Amino acid sequence: MQLSDRVTGAVLVGLGGLAAWSGSRLPGVPGQDVGPAAFPMLIGGGLMLCGAMIALGIGHSFEVPEEEEAVPGRSRFYGLRVLVPPALLLFYMFAAEPLGFLLTAFLMVLVGAFALGARARLAVPLALVAPLIVHLAFYKLLRVPLPEGLLGAPW
Amino acid sequence: MSELYEAIRLVAAPDVVIAIVASAIYGLVVGSMPGLSATMATALLVPVTFWLSPIAAIATIITASAMAIFSGDIPGCLLRIPGTPASAAYTDEAYAMTRKGQAEMALGAGLWFSAIGGIVGTLSLVLMAPLLAEMALSFSTYEYFWLAFLGLMCATLVARSSPIKAIASMLLGLLIACIGMENPAGTPRFTFGMTDLLGGIEPIPALVGVFAVSEVMRAMASAEPPKLPKRKFGSILANQWMLTKKYQKPMWRGNFIGIIIGVLPGAGADMAAWVSYAMSKKFSKTPELFGTGHPEGLVEAGASNNASLASGWVPALLFGIPGDTITAIAIGVLYMKGLNPGPTLFTENARSMYALYLIFIIANIIMIPLGIVMIRMASTVLRAPRASIMPVILLLCAVGAYATGNNLFSVGLVGAFGILGFVMERNGYPVAALVLGIVMGSMVETNFVTSLIKSDGDVLPFFERPVSAVLAAMTIGALLWPLGVWIWNRTGGARLQPRGAAE
Repeated sequence: MQLSDRVTGAVLVGLGGLAAWSGSRLPGVPGQDVGPAAFPMLIGGGLMLCGAMIALGIGHSFEVPEEEEAVPGRSRFYGLRVLVPPALLLFYMFAAEPLGFLLTAFLMVLVGAFALGARARLAVPLALVAPLIVHLAFYKLLRVPLPEGLLGAPW
Repeated sequence: MSELYEAIRLVAAPDVVIAIVASAIYGLVVGSMPGLSATMATALLVPVTFWLSPIAAIATIITASAMAIFSGDIPGCLLRIPGTPASAAYTDEAYAMTRKGQAEMALGAGLWFSAIGGIVGTLSLVLMAPLLAEMALSFSTYEYFWLAFLGLMCATLVARSSPIKAIASMLLGLLIACIGMENPAGTPRFTFGMTDLLGGIEPIPALVGVFAVSEVMRAMASAEPPKLPKRKFGSILANQWMLTKKYQKPMWRGNFIGIIIGVLPGAGADMAAWVSYAMSKKFSKTPELFGTGHPEGLVEAGASNNASLASGWVPALLFGIPGDTITAIAIGVLYMKGLNPGPTLFTENARSMYALYLIFIIANIIMIPLGIVMIRMASTVLRAPRASIMPVILLLCAVGAYATGNNLFSVGLVGAFGILGFVMERNGYPVAALVLGIVMGSMVETNFVTSLIKSDGDVLPFFERPVSAVLAAMTIGALLWPLGVWIWNRTGGARLQPRGAAE
């Protein structure tokens, strides 16, 4: 997602302003000048300053232009595939408890592999084996209480 | 001396030996895969360290990071894709050597001089840390504030990006560190009424998100890197002794620069490699050969990035201030294992420190045989399709984040930081500065606020003590450095590259 410096700069100005404003409304410590408000206000001010400078294009000459590596011949929506990993993490966050680790991880690896262009011959065995190994390592060796859910592990 | 024997006994324990060997293999494999960086390798190891003894935990971090920094050279040399950002500085050079048919020499130089750099860096750690520890005992909140601030400023100089964007990233990190009630006043801030945010944002989910998830996201949108052609390698170390003798001066310069940059809080292996490569070119008798497959820059920069890795532990162990993103993770592990960073660590826990030195030395020595095996197997390892690696990495991100607090909220947090890291990277905001801001936020704030309370709101005491005055001058210098470069370029001086490093 390539945005212009004006947009990101403006976002930073807004964020800094918000931080400074909500920081200034924090309750102080009685009898002390420097309370919890000081630091957020300072940072908010700094962010506003930096955001404004970025929006005005100051310091742009220092940047090393990044090589755009677009995959040619794909539709605009192709770029939306980058949202697959965070979406899968969100799915894990909500599904791990009800479905259990093994099922959630199976779906996660399967979808992830297909999104990267794997064939079923690779994706299905991977999705079957990887969760079992991860479960064995984390549940058995590292004693992480992975949720059992609908399908418990054989160990 | 008995402390040293005790340290040898600690390192020779079977669990430590297994940890060193296993994490060495892990570091070599992960570091060699394009897009999987040394920082990410280390971040994904943290849940594993929960379960290990303190020395074994430190051993995994040290060994895995050292191996990953070296093995990042392998795809750089063979495919022109750096495996880790620290190899990016000399990737073109190494690839040019491969095209000239000198792949063995380029890979061997990466391996041999990485190991030498690592050992020299370790010796500097052994010599410097106790000396500085004595000094650090007299530090007050003013000095700690400036040190932490200096670390943040150095982190903004690392990135090959606009310094203003780097500072903005760092401020964003500091703002994220404000979340929760871990501030001197204990007031909940920016929690939006969510109890999960009361404890603040843990650095590990942030690190995993920014360095690992965003990498998986990038893989989704980019073409698969080319496959490595199968090839037979000749002797890897054949010409290295000749190179060592021929380029002795560049090698020492690389070691030295790497150590200095490593000790600077906030600046790590990537910056060391860039600066050393540029230095090598500047001082070389044959600068015109650079870029055509000339080993001199490889020698200097390869030594430099591994030297910085060891000396980066100096500020981490003494002050709890990360020398780079890898030590930022290490500090968390040190606290978790009851080895709280600070000058007293060297007096009260000397045997653990000796053990740490020994692990560094061992890691750099076994790097040579294991590295040769890795180079010979590289074409097989790098043949694994990306579609089989990235989903597993994503799963490990989820489980790793969950394991840090047995809390599903951190899994969502990892995803959020993945998006943040991806968007920032795409728009030229360096993510390392963000991460150091998050890690060091509460330290900067605590020392800033306590200093201000002590001085009754006066700014002058921040500059009055001699050490704090020097640190303040360095910090302000780092802040004004980009401005100086900009004015120099404007007033028609010979055009300097940004920070003298980018090439």
